[in-house]
Amino acid sequence: MSVMLLTGSEAAAYAAKLARIEVLSYYPITPAFPAMERISKFIEDGELNTEFVRVECDHSALAAALGAALAGSRTFTVSNSQGLLYMTEVMYHVAGLRQPIVMAVANRALSAPHSRFPEHGDAISQDASGWIQLFCENNQEILDTTLQAFKIAETCRLPVMVNYEGYIQSHTQEEVDVPEQKAVDALIPFNRIAALDVNNPQGINTVTGPEFYMDYKYHQNEAMEGALKVIPQVAREFAQVFGRDWQGLVEGYRMEDARHAVVAMGSLVSDARIVVDALRNEGRQVGLVKIRSFRPFPAAALRSMLSAVDMVTVLDKNIIFGAGGALGNDTKAALYGYRSLPVKSYICGLGGRSVGTREIRQMIDLAENRVEQRRDYEWFGL
Amino acid sequence: MTLSIKDLPQEDLFGPGNAGCRGCGAAIAGRQAMKALGPRTIVSIPASCMATLSGSNQRTAWQVPFYHTLFEIAPAVAAGIRAALDAQGIRDVNVVSWAGDAGTADIGFQSLSGAAERNDAIIHVCYDNEMYMNTNGQTGSQTPLYAITSNQRKGKQTCKKDMLAIMLAHGIGYAASASISHPLDLIAKLKKAAARRSFSYVHILTPCYRGWGIPTDQSVAVARKAVECGLWELYEVEDGVRRRTYEPSFIPVAEYLAPQGRFKNLTADKIQEMQDAVNRYYHREEGKA
Ligand SMILES: Cc1ncc(C[n+]2csc(CCOP(=O)(O)OP(=O)(O)O)c2C)c(N)n1
Repeated sequence: MSVMLLTGSEAAAYAAKLARIEVLSYYPITPAFPAMERISKFIEDGELNTEFVRVECDHSALAAALGAALAGSRTFTVSNSQGLLYMTEVMYHVAGLRQPIVMAVANRALSAPHSRFPEHGDAISQDASGWIQLFCENNQEILDTTLQAFKIAETCRLPVMVNYEGYIQSHTQEEVDVPEQKAVDALIPFNRIAALDVNNPQGINTVTGPEFYMDYKYHQNEAMEGALKVIPQVAREFAQVFGRDWQGLVEGYRMEDARHAVVAMGSLVSDARIVVDALRNEGRQVGLVKIRSFRPFPAAALRSMLSAVDMVTVLDKNIIFGAGGALGNDTKAALYGYRSLPVKSYICGLGGRSVGTREIRQMIDLAENRVEQRRDYEWFGL
Repeated sequence: MTLSIKDLPQEDLFGPGNAGCRGCGAAIAGRQAMKALGPRTIVSIPASCMATLSGSNQRTAWQVPFYHTLFEIAPAVAAGIRAALDAQGIRDVNVVSWAGDAGTADIGFQSLSGAAERNDAIIHVCYDNEMYMNTNGQTGSQTPLYAITSNQRKGKQTCKKDMLAIMLAHGIGYAASASISHPLDLIAKLKKAAARRSFSYVHILTPCYRGWGIPTDQSVAVARKAVECGLWELYEVEDGVRRRTYEPSFIPVAEYLAPQGRFKNLTADKIQEMQDAVNRYYHREEGKA
């Protein structure tokens, strides 16, 4: 193992290299492009033996990755925001075909108005697509989660998105422990399954009538539910080898005896840890629940984390117009019928608006001081 | 070397059990093409009649791997398949994206142009029924001038986009036109395409009885008239060298146009206009049919 100073983009690129991806396809977009260029450089320098399909658009990027996956290769792509929206048709198709493609996503706000700054709106737009979605809080987690993503994808036969925020994570250097190739090879051996194989001809995606379609969807959803077991299992295996335990679906931080839980995902989590420490020093019983797996949504794991608290505050870097924040809504749905808890939901940090430790603390104070929210969700930082 | 029907494999790798309409030109093209491509072929077909008729539920009409893909992406998917085969050291497989005229020239054009420019080692086949038949026969860029479609009752007012010229402008090594009426010519062209390790484009005329308003047993005959009157030229361009692969007999264009329901509104002067265009193109005497 060696510790290197890496941006989040580089961490994702190193993970793709360590996973020995066979086919790479991407279409440039900001802020994801440094990860793309880094992998291309690995290939050009002869450090990585990967076929690169230099497509003419994002839609084709995922299409080429899909063709490669169907022909049995371990396949990787990178995108965000408009690229992800442009890919959307293929996103659903990949998931329906159960192809284990891994995609790194440098989350960025969606147009209009045009923005190149971070938030989670792009990932949230794919919440029903059938992709597993994991969110990372720092660059080490980006590398580790991307490696785990291959194992999760290939075990569940589902595609996986590894999310990290543009600039805040994609362009910021941190110390990252880069594992040894041998150890990675042992953890994520590749078991080739080629749906398109001339020695075993099959028809893929034939027109499907009402007598089958729903059953396919049932099995697809069962695979998603199954991922609720696989994600923590892979995190445990990873921890055994590399000593870093990312806990799988959700992680509770200082949740023992907490009365007030903050629920968040992505870069907010690392700042929220600092806030929770400070509040604990002041004697306030505040804890943090990090959502690592947004899809599948770990409702049961979240409920057990929240089984003893008196209130919950959810921070969302996304807005579903007319409905609120995705995490806020899912948290409420998970609790409904089990516990009657006040759940405060804040929309914050859209399009790069700064949310640091100060703002997170303000939201926690607001949530504690105001009994009722003006609406089911409130905007913070306007 | 001229190909003889005796040289062709007996087995049909596409055809039996397909759900096409009677006389479906696209299905005929598929059957003929597979005589050239053989069993070590992977076929990807975007949304279209051909994808629909190729199989449903647990049935497929292909004896080779067949993947029904999304409308825009057959060439990109094929490029990805080729990349995966290369990565795995598999060198003896033909990768074919097989699309209708919309999946080729309209919604599929971006990914087609991308694959051609990259010179990916795939064969793109456009089977051209000159309309969007899977959605009932609307106008597209490959619909010819004046043809009536389901959303242009007065006939199309602009010309058919010249896909072969456009594909050749990409600098590709092999491009050819073909017609289901000339199977040996079609098969020879696909064999040439398959022998190359670069991007090839083959554009096949495949009449559709519904869209064209012809009897179901006339698909091949009408395709032959298209060739014989000179409106559908059979040629290939191989490494920059253009060759007409069949010399038409120059029957009057009216013999091709008049029996088709989609041209029923054509007036004598419009037919003459088209005859004149053919005569000019082939440098034939004015007025002579
Ligand atoms: C993104 C998308 N838009 C529209 C459609 C609907 N659609 C399916 S097939 C088709 C027409 C296909 O026309 P063509 O490629 O000419 O093949 P044909 O059906 O005529 O054989 C259309 C419009 C679709 N499946 N996907």
